[in-house]
Parts: sequence; structure tokens; C-alpha cells
Amino acid sequence: MAETANLSAQTYMIRPHFNQKFRPAVVKDNIREVLTEELSGKEYNSEDVTQLTRELSDKIKGKIKDLQYDRYKVVVQVVIGEQRGEGVKMASRCFWDCDTDNYVQDVFTNDSLFCVAAAFGAFYY
Amino acid sequence: MDDFQTGEETAFVVDEVSNIVKEAVETAIGGSAYQHNKVNQWTSNIVEQTLNLLTKLGKPFKYIVTAVIMQKNGAGLHTASSCYWDNSTDGSCTVRWENKTMYCIVSVFGLAI
Repeated sequence: MAETANLSAQTYMIRPHFNQKFRPAVVKDNIREVLTEELSGKEYNSEDVTQLTRELSDKIKGKIKDLQYDRYKVVVQVVIGEQRGEGVKMASRCFWDCDTDNYVQDVFTNDSLFCVAAAFGAFYY
Repeated sequence: MDDFQTGEETAFVVDEVSNIVKEAVETAIGGSAYQHNKVNQWTSNIVEQTLNLLTKLGKPFKYIVTAVIMQKNGAGLHTASSCYWDNSTDGSCTVRWENKTMYCIVSVFGLAI
């Protein structure tokens, strides 16, 4: 019988432990914190916004990595748009294992911009 | 797990996925003008159609598809994504499509199992 391993390559675990699952509630708090910290009082500025979107997605990914979800692959998508009264709709569908994988989304709006952040976590078997 | 990798293409192929997305978008909103009461249905159709066609490829991948439809109004829109994955097997593809009244941006992320 294989020893219970300290080597992560040999654990033979095909499901995450229940308290190590990608938890939407916890991650959502982290995302909200990042968005309010970075975007409160910011205005939509076409030169800065490219850089800002990239920074935001990297920051959110960094925060999720800090939560130390073992064996999870993480995808973070951030969309920032100018508020001019236009209509926008964002949708997503995922083909994965709903026992182990999950997603979180958050929206931040102020007078000049809106920002949607979505984070997806997929277990790597 | 190694059986999947002999002989068959198991990296994320951007061109193939990009064609699938373009097809799905054309079918769903090809000749239409932006209508607020139809956007919900359109975005759902686009993502569902894309996902269906992707799963038919039969590759050992988990997929995440997101679509954004925006009315043309002179406003700006930016998307960025940051991913923590295995670069050799996983990949993403973003397709931008537009017509006279709206923009549609679809992103597909493929994560190898």
C-alpha cells in the first residue's frame, strides 16, 4: 500500500477535501476588497484603464493564490467599461465537474465606470 | 493519464476554437441589431452553442466560456484576464466581433484535465 504521502504527486486523491474546496463566499470577499480599494474614486481614463484592468486581474489572482487552494487552477477575468448609458450583458458557461469546481463574480460601479470581475477555480486531478 | 497524450493533439488549439466561436456568434446574432430585451437570450445562446461545439471535439479539457455583448455608444470597454495554470497544456482564446449596433467579445479558457 502506498504510504500516505508528503509528495503531492503521489496522493491518489481525486477529489479535494471538503474544507479545501474552492469556496465562493471567501473568494468573493477578497475580490470585493480589491475592487473597492483600487476603483473607489477612479474615473474612466482611456490611457490608464488598460494598465488598470491588467493590474486588477493580477492582484485578484494573487489574492486567490494566497488562500492556498491546493491543486486548483485559477482563471480571473476583469472587464472595465465606461458608463455612458449603454446596455451591456455578460454571460458565462462552464464545462467542468460541479463537485469540485466553482466560480465567483462581483460588480463594482461608480459614476464613470463599471467593473465586473469573475474568478473561476478548477481542480486539477 | 498518459494514454491521452500519445498520438492525439492535447494542447489547446487556438485556431480551431476561434473558428468555433465565430460560427456560434454568427448563428446567434449574425444579422441582428441591439435589442435590450433580447440580449439575455443572445448571450445564453452564444455561450451554450460554443460550449456544445467545444465538447464535441472530445478533448480531455474543462472549458470556461464568457461572452460580453455591448451596445455601440462611443463608450470604451477593456477586458483582462490572469490565469494560474500549466502553460504547456492550457490556453485561452478571445474573439472580438462587431456589427453596426453592437460589439460581442467571447473568451474561451481551456484547462487540461
